[in-house]
Amino acid sequence: MTTAAHEAPIRTPLLSRRWRLFLGHSLAYLVMSALAFVFMVPLFWMLSTSLKSRWEVFAWPPQWIPVPAHWENFRLIFERVPLWRYAGNTVILVIGNLIGQLFAVPLVAYAFARLRFPGRNTLFFLMIATMMIPYQVTMIPLFTIFQRLGLVNTYVPLILPAFFGGPFFIFLMHQYIKTLPRDLDDAARIDGAGTWAILYQIILPLCRPPMTIVVVYTFWFTWNDFLHPLIYLNDISKFTIQLGLAMFRGRFDVEWNLLMAATLLAVLPLLIVYFFAQRHLIGGIASVGLKG
Amino acid sequence: MQPKKATRREFLRMSGLAVAGMAMATCAQPAPAPIQAPAAPAATSVPPTAAPAVKKPVTIQWWTVPSEEFSEEAQRKLVDAFHAAQNDVRVEISVLPENGFSEKMTTTLGAGEGAPDVSFFWTDAWLPQALDLAPWIARDKFDTGQYIKGFFDTHSQYKGTTVTLPLGVGANFVMYNVKVFDEAKVPYPDMSPDATEWLQMIVKLNDPAKKRWGGDRPRGPYRAIWLNFGARMYSDDGKTVEGYLNGPGSVAAYEWLWDLVQTNATPTPADIELLGTQGTGPVDLFMAGRLATATLNQGHMLNAMKAGLPFGIVREPGPTGKPRHVNSWSLAVGIWKGTKEPEAAWTFLKFWAGPEGQKFLMENGNLFPSIRSVLNQYPKADLPHVKAFFQILEDNPVRAITVRGWSNSGILNAVKDLWDNINLGKIKREEIKPALDKAVPAAQKALDEARAKVGL
Amino acid sequence: MLNTWRQMRPRARREALEGYLGISPWLIGFLLFTLGPILASLYFSMTQWNIVETPKWIGFANYIKLLTDDPLFTKALQVTLTYVALAVPLRLVVGLGLSLLLNLKVRGMDVYRTIFYLPAVLSGVAVALMWIWIMHPDMGVVNNLLSLVGIQGPRWFWDPSTALISVVIMQLWYVGGSAVIYLAGLQNIPPHLYEAAEMDGANRWARFWSITLPLLTPTLFLQLVTNLIDAFQVFTSVYIITGGGPLRATWMYMLYLYEQAFQEFNMGYASAMAWILTIIIVVLSIIVFRTSDRWVYYEDTGEKAQ
Repeated sequence: MTTAAHEAPIRTPLLSRRWRLFLGHSLAYLVMSALAFVFMVPLFWMLSTSLKSRWEVFAWPPQWIPVPAHWENFRLIFERVPLWRYAGNTVILVIGNLIGQLFAVPLVAYAFARLRFPGRNTLFFLMIATMMIPYQVTMIPLFTIFQRLGLVNTYVPLILPAFFGGPFFIFLMHQYIKTLPRDLDDAARIDGAGTWAILYQIILPLCRPPMTIVVVYTFWFTWNDFLHPLIYLNDISKFTIQLGLAMFRGRFDVEWNLLMAATLLAVLPLLIVYFFAQRHLIGGIASVGLKG
Repeated sequence: MQPKKATRREFLRMSGLAVAGMAMATCAQPAPAPIQAPAAPAATSVPPTAAPAVKKPVTIQWWTVPSEEFSEEAQRKLVDAFHAAQNDVRVEISVLPENGFSEKMTTTLGAGEGAPDVSFFWTDAWLPQALDLAPWIARDKFDTGQYIKGFFDTHSQYKGTTVTLPLGVGANFVMYNVKVFDEAKVPYPDMSPDATEWLQMIVKLNDPAKKRWGGDRPRGPYRAIWLNFGARMYSDDGKTVEGYLNGPGSVAAYEWLWDLVQTNATPTPADIELLGTQGTGPVDLFMAGRLATATLNQGHMLNAMKAGLPFGIVREPGPTGKPRHVNSWSLAVGIWKGTKEPEAAWTFLKFWAGPEGQKFLMENGNLFPSIRSVLNQYPKADLPHVKAFFQILEDNPVRAITVRGWSNSGILNAVKDLWDNINLGKIKREEIKPALDKAVPAAQKALDEARAKVGL
Repeated sequence: MLNTWRQMRPRARREALEGYLGISPWLIGFLLFTLGPILASLYFSMTQWNIVETPKWIGFANYIKLLTDDPLFTKALQVTLTYVALAVPLRLVVGLGLSLLLNLKVRGMDVYRTIFYLPAVLSGVAVALMWIWIMHPDMGVVNNLLSLVGIQGPRWFWDPSTALISVVIMQLWYVGGSAVIYLAGLQNIPPHLYEAAEMDGANRWARFWSITLPLLTPTLFLQLVTNLIDAFQVFTSVYIITGGGPLRATWMYMLYLYEQAFQEFNMGYASAMAWILTIIIVVLSIIVFRTSDRWVYYEDTGEKAQ
């Protein structure tokens, strides 16, 4: 597998080498296509459901390609729930969270990974330990704090925490920075660079992969968050996309066709972001070509 | 209402009037609001016409959910109607998703801050945070007798006083698909179907080739069917499990479930879940013509009417000759204890759950009002299934027997394995009674603990 | 700590100050918004609290009842530990395997990666429904595929003997989301190392063990710790699909905690449960952290793992 991953200069007899590569790739395609097919089946089913009428959804035998296709479901969902507005609101939250995480995460992770200070290991473990406490039991006290600050029904409780840095992201970034040779810092320090200059001019440019992950994950978590917007927002005009999706579920039943149509549309931005972001995973020390 | 209490309140109201002027003078300051004191309502009970020029409208928060019975649109119109009817109170409406409403409500009530002035109090555990409505009811001579009796009694009382009002009525009943019955040439079921005959009937309706089942399975024990069999979790005084949980009625009900599962004429839990999670499976299957009969509710009935599906409604099955029970409910609506505007909240609450509001939601939405005189004006009351629904509402409510002010979940936990085993077909019929006997000690312990927790 | 401070040289002191400044965003957030709620939940764990009324102090009674007299708690703990033992290693291996596959430089890989990311980001009911659709004993995709090769598939979620393993398989579905983290780690391995190894005649397998795996250990360490935390806290999908059944085969810790907190309104009891869970995860994490310097390889040779 790793052979194929790195197109190393060809040394062995030409044909056999090529054949091996070809066979390897064909096998990889086969395995991935089979897996991808299984992964896609539910997606086909969702698409099929979203094109059915209200009560056709569970008819037997199941119709994979509904005739006629009810494309108007994709129009109806916008009439039923102001999805554009909710998507816009969610984008505001995503941007806020991105700014917050991109500000805090490198700073905190760098300090934990590179700077020596008393209590560092304890504090680092404490940070990770905060991920271990189930939110169910801290939710009410946290709500009380934001309520007393008069911030309920604003976006502040949904954005502010990002400016403190997500423990998971800090951990991730910390692990990554520790794979970068310390010689880089030392060389820069000899050249007279200060601590923060090293972070922003030497380390951060090498951290494109983990920063990409922070972006992708922040987008994902914020876009899909249901509980926090639900708890902190009262005003329907401030709602987010996930709260909008929940509106397709009534007290007694679910409009599956509309829910599936809306869910499909809602997941698209996440896939697009991922599709383009993954190209930025390459980078870091490997591309610089420094000796490890 | 106990007359004794009323006279005491009458007295307090008089003394309240005496301090009314004083209260008026201080009402601009945020009072620490000893809301329950009847003096407060008395103070503000001065007719609004007394000082229209200086009175600013008070704004209150109303949290609600959309429903088949009251759409978001109908509820927004209700607010408009309320605003048109008076000038003192403005309502800010939040239509929240049903899914998650409970968590949100619990969080705000637990925080003691940020809860809505008026909302649903449909979880009994929230009731300690609901404002005691008795003083307002007494002052305004609000007629609580207008509510259908069973619903007011079982949905509005907490610790001997009235804390909520019942909005709308709902119930479970069996819906049958007329087309499927005609096709299978099976006569329609009786209004009060016999449990044994029911099993024979659903077998005839079953058609594996079409992936069609004759009927569904009950969703839990000690609901209508169990009570029809005479099953009880514990004695009427709420103290003893032995002889009730494992009594003859209980055993008979579980044995009936066993027989039902063995007919193979019902979808398995996997089938139900495949076709819709969160308990929506039966309605989806029923509407698709794949369940000949299903235990559904008035919301589903409305959907079936809208879809033009021919159907009928009967009681849940039970042994012939025993009294029938119905799992019926109303939505408890109330005022949060921490409200800063109890008077305004009450004004809106009695509009919403009173005759005007319920009539409005009946005409602009699909609500079945909990007020008899309004329900009698239901536009489609002559339709046979609506008639059947109204008739079933008169049966003995399950809630009156099973809801006792403490949580039964510990007791149900003790018989959960038996339930699963029967549904999985992993237990013999004659093992049911021993299994129930075996569950008694754990259930008794759970009952004792549950009672102790509420101070009994 | 103060003594250390006095003994420090000015340069070290400066570095320490910069360190505190660097972590200050997290530290401020922790002190203002995290510590308070955590201490509050610790206090609640010593009370009987029905959420809507004033908590009543009862000392360690909740903990004593949990540890000595609650079969549902014992069952939940047992199921969860079994699940963690199965799910965490499997997730690490499958996640790594998938990302090696997704790391191949072949055309159209962007699309494949995106497809595998899809299940991870589909949320809520849609996912649950998708799962039921896949695993249904008679109509599901999996059993239909198995029947093509003559195997009668199990009843998955709906049989007590296979329900837990079904949950493990279901959670594997989400590795597409964490594949991106492995990918970042894989991309960071300098190609010249492989070239050198190949020249030395190391075969594919040897190169994986001597280069890929060691250089990926920081990522594996991260995944191990976070997967451990996630596995103990698995909730939503199980809650929707099995509700803990059948016969409590999937009776996860968080299901019981949630039931106690938001259905039974025993927030005091739920808080005690949360603290026991936290202690278990903390102890396991400390073990992982302590052993990490033996197997986690960091490039900055100045230090070993935390």
